Order: sequence, then structure tokens, then C-alpha cells
Amino acid sequence: MNDVLDCSAGEFAPNDLTCDYLVIGSGCGGGTAARVLAEAGKDVILLEEGGDFVGPTRLTQRDTPMYDQLYTDRGGRTSKDRTVNILSGRVLGGGGVINACDVVPIHDATWAYWQKHHGWSEFSAAAMASYLQRALADLSANRIEERQVNRNNQILRQGAQALGWRGELMMHNRVNCQGLGSCLIGCPASAKRNPRMVAIPKALSAGARVYVRARATRIREAMAERKRVEVQTLDGKGYHPVNRFAIDARHVIVAANPVGTVALLRNSGLGNDTLGRHVSLQPQVPIVALMPDPVRAFDGIPQAYALTEFERHDPDVGLTGFRVESIFGTPGVLGSLVGQPGAAGKALMAQLDHVAASLILIPDQPVGQIGVRRDGRPEVDYTLAAEWKTRARQAIKAAAQAYFAAGAKMVVVPAAPPLVLQSTAQLAQIETLTFEPGTISLISAHQQGGARLGASDATSACDLTGQLWGTRDVFVCDGSVFPSTSSSHTMTPIITMAHALIDRLVARSA
Amino acid sequence: MNPVTRRRFLVLGGTATALAAGAVGGLAWLRGAAPDVAGLHVLTAEQYRTFAAIARTHLPRGGAFPPGADDFDLARMFDGYLADQPTTDRHDAGLAINLVEFGPLLFDHHAVTFSNLPPDAQLAHWSGWGTAQQQTRREIFWSFSRFLGLTFYDHEAVWPHIHYPGPSFARLASRPAEAP
Repeated sequence: MNDVLDCSAGEFAPNDLTCDYLVIGSGCGGGTAARVLAEAGKDVILLEEGGDFVGPTRLTQRDTPMYDQLYTDRGGRTSKDRTVNILSGRVLGGGGVINACDVVPIHDATWAYWQKHHGWSEFSAAAMASYLQRALADLSANRIEERQVNRNNQILRQGAQALGWRGELMMHNRVNCQGLGSCLIGCPASAKRNPRMVAIPKALSAGARVYVRARATRIREAMAERKRVEVQTLDGKGYHPVNRFAIDARHVIVAANPVGTVALLRNSGLGNDTLGRHVSLQPQVPIVALMPDPVRAFDGIPQAYALTEFERHDPDVGLTGFRVESIFGTPGVLGSLVGQPGAAGKALMAQLDHVAASLILIPDQPVGQIGVRRDGRPEVDYTLAAEWKTRARQAIKAAAQAYFAAGAKMVVVPAAPPLVLQSTAQLAQIETLTFEPGTISLISAHQQGGARLGASDATSACDLTGQLWGTRDVFVCDGSVFPSTSSSHTMTPIITMAHALIDRLVARSA
Repeated sequence: MNPVTRRRFLVLGGTATALAAGAVGGLAWLRGAAPDVAGLHVLTAEQYRTFAAIARTHLPRGGAFPPGADDFDLARMFDGYLADQPTTDRHDAGLAINLVEFGPLLFDHHAVTFSNLPPDAQLAHWSGWGTAQQQTRREIFWSFSRFLGLTFYDHEAVWPHIHYPGPSFARLASRPAEAP
């Protein structure tokens, strides 16, 4: 079995490399691609820009170093107008290392929507069922057990039940979970069955070569039989360039998250006019409630219960409506959302153990656009749609109602100034939220689109095999390929899609 | 209209230069010199002082619990953070800090800079950035408050005051084994 090779290590000597399949990005798409290709006997190199973080000495459960090392742009990436904080993984294993472990497959109605409106003729729910099963097996998907539901999740469920609203305990990919509560900055107990724990070890066992702290900067000769990919090695922190080398590859599979994927392809001069367009950020609104009794939401599984009463699956629209899911994290990330300066902000944080919190997931239409600035860094242009804002206000009202029904003393929407509600009589104040840039803190954890698949190069960036139009054997295999938001959580959809696309690639080469 | 003669051009140019120099000098005088701070990577001593004032305003000592931003030198942490950021980000951060420093002059028309305001006025002014009409001011407010909240509440000296028992892995590992 190969080892992970760290390009920031002193002994690493950058020599040019050759392979048949180069996979760029090691998350749910790239990790799965590398594993399936390696197990099919292919000669594979997997590149990851971030480092390799496994176990308690590396995954310290501390906000500052973990956001610094596990997240793209140190957790600080935002949309151009800074309205949406765009979170994605920059670590071996990608987003699977830092997500909340939710397993939510693509709904049948979404497959139908894509078939009907986006020309995804070959991708029906039935045709994709076997790939979904493979994804669920990779993830050891299982239902969260009642004994694992912490007080934070119980409170949301209690409120939903009091109002007669539907909800469910979620499926997840944890095995032997110890309830450490720090899922969003990595699991030191390695309970997550994510790409780092499953796909990448299997890829290494099957002979794949895996390099970390290695950033692909340009793909050259995209129409040639052998592509030449320029690689920048990074220092131990991962922020300063050290050396360069190149990889010659017959096939290049780009799986660097929609933002990274589009930026790499654009910086390489590749792609048609559709590349970078039709981006969904699926912005989420955080909401917190102050409870009369201790909640201690920082202990246990952060996200176990989903209020799904208002989620809609429509074969003519796709995923819409909204859902509310409990969430919590370490104190730093919660403190970063408190946009209230002075003693008032400290007073709120002083009651941290009495705080219950949720994220409201509001699917969007793919209205965003990814571009590249003069310095080569990506830029995400995203404007909240009026219809999304209306739905967001409805969603915040519903979440607040649920918390008050569960006995909350106060509900707070982190805005500047914070929107503080003392009872349901004040719900109308939610209408005052404008969502104008810089007035509220929104989060994107599920970026999708930007290199959508389709049957025509007039309306898509890639063909239905994932090959970028206008190239030879340059493929995309991550959340970029979806024509609209795929699900409330993207881990399972991306792994499902990766199995389907890479199976086709293997079959073609055979 | 008379053409601009060389003499008139020189007079106008000289006046404009003098006004600009006077404005810069005036702003520098208004801001005042900051004491030297050793070991800064990106921020100037003046920017360090401004950011420390922002941090102190955002997270003051006292109130619900004793520690405040000044106990952990968050301005130095910000300087360290910027040291690993791309050049354009460093430049933008410096501009943003300068904008806050001259905020009272630019937006409230008071002949004083942020660092030189009394604490109550600093809080009122800084809070105003979160709700300002100008989008840039709101963006700066959120950017700085995110950094300050993340780094402050990640500090172990704050945890007892917010009833956070610390990283769970170490807590569970040190927990005595349950009797069979």
C-alpha cells in the first residue's frame, strides 16, 4: 500500500511525473474517482492542495488552527459582496472531513426535473439506483439512533412536534461515534466514513499515488493525447509556494469543488461560455434560541434532527421550500456569528450552554457565477433572488415558532443589529430583514454547478460523460456538474454521481 | 476661455499639491503617532493601534465576564493572519483599518479619529458600521467581527466564562473508566 506523500516535507524532491489518470481534488468526487479508477487497475495520481489531517494530534478541535488548515481560504471565502460565507474543505478528504455527516440522497423528483428540463436523459432515479447503493455502502450510511440525539436536537424536534410538523432523525456516515461534537472541524476519533477514511485508503491500497500540499495551477494541451498539468507545491502551512513540477497524464479529472474547479479550468483557458455559470450556493441562515435550562449543545452529534415539513420536491422545479436542522459547533465559530459589539455580544455568549441553534437550509436557483480575477483567484458573484428572500423570511418564522413552542425565552437571528425576538407576537419583525449585503451572516456549505453536464454545448459546460466540451479527456467530477441544487446535503449526491461518471470512463477505456 | 498659461498652471498645481500635502499632514496629525510595536509583519504601528481599538470595542473587558480582546492581543493575531494572506488581501485589510480610523471624520464629521475617541463613542461609532448605509462599511464590520469572534472565543481563558468545558476528545480520554 502506498503512503500519502506530503510535498511540503523537507525530503520531497519535485520531479515530473507521468500517469494515465490524474485526479485533482480529493473530496467526495475526487476521492471516489481515484479509488474507482485505481481499483479498476488504472495508473492514478491524486492531488490535494490541503494537508493530511487524521487523529487527535492533528485534529485538535480548536477553531483557529482548524479553520486555518481545513477550510478553503481559511474559512474566509465569501461571495463578491461578502453576503455569503462560502465554506469548503481544503484537506485530504475534502468536504467530507469538515461536514456534519448528513446522508441525503438525490430525490426522485430532482432526477425527474433534470431529465425533463436539463436533458439528463440517461440519469433517471432507477438508472442511478445502483450507484446510490454504492455511495451508501461507501458511507456506511445508517440512521442516527435515539440515544445519540442531544438536547439541542431534542429541542427542535419538541417544537416541531408541538406544532404538528413533520421531521426526522437523519441518516449519517458515522460509525462508533463518540459524540465529540466537533464534526465541523474534523473528527479526532475518525468516526466519519468520509473519503479520507474509505476511498483514499482503498485508492492507496490499489496503487494510487496521493500527493498533498500540491496545487494544480494549469492544464496545458487539453486537446492532446497527453495533457501536461503544472503543479505548485506548498509549504507546511499550505499558503506559500515552494516548488513546481509537472505531471503528464492521458486523462485529467478535475474535482476541486465548484469554485476551485472553475478557477483551474478558466486559468487554463478552457471551457465554453457556460463554464462558471449556473452556480447554486444554497445559502443557509443561522438562528439561535436561548433556553431556560442548560442545553450543552457542544456535546453530542451536532446535526441529528431535520424539520422537513416545508421541504418540497417538484419534478418541474427541483428541490425547493426549506428545512431546519439543528447544528452546533465549537465556541469560536459561534462567536464569529455574533455581530453584536460590546457588552451585549459578550452577554449572549456567556449563556452559551443555554443556547440551542439551527441552520435553515433554503435551496436556491442556480443564479451565481464563478469568475477569475486578474491575480488568478476565483470570484463568486452571487445575488440573492427576491423569491429566495421571501422563502427565507418564511423559514426564519417557522424556525422561531418551533423554538418558542419548545419553550425558548428568546430567539436571535445573527444580523447587524441582531434581530431579537421575545415571543411569537414579534414574528412580524422578521419581515424587516432585507438580506442586503452586509446586513446578515449567511453560510454556504453546499456549492453546486458551474460546470453543469448536459447534452448540448450551448447550455452546458460538460457533456453527459463529464468531459469538458472542447477538450480531449478532461473531465469534471464534483458538485460542479449538477444543473441545480441536488439535495439539502451534497456528500451523497456527489459520491453517487462520481461512481456513475467514473464507471463510464472505465468502461470507455476498456 | 483663456488658455491656461504656464504660470497659471504652476500656481494651480502648486496650490493643489500644497492642499493635498496639507490634508495628508492634517490626517496624520489628527491620527497622531503610535508607539512602536516590535515584530509586526504587515500592519504599521498606527494600523495595529487602530485594530487593537476595534478589538477592544468589539470585545471589551468586563461586562458578562472579565476577559476582553486586550488580554489576548488580537491585533497581533490579525497581523500574523495577514502575513499568510495574498498581497491584495493585506493591502485591502490595511485600507479597511485606515477607513475605520478616519471613520469619525469621514462619516460623522468629527475632527477626531477612531483610536482617539472615548470608549463609549468608539462603541457607538463601531456599532454604526454594522448598520451603515454604505455597503463597504457593513462588509468591513462583518469581516472584522468574524475574525475577532473566532479568535477570542477559541481562547481557553474565555471558556470557563461561557461554560464551555474545552475540547471533548481530551475530556473523554481523561474520564475514568466506568465500572463493569
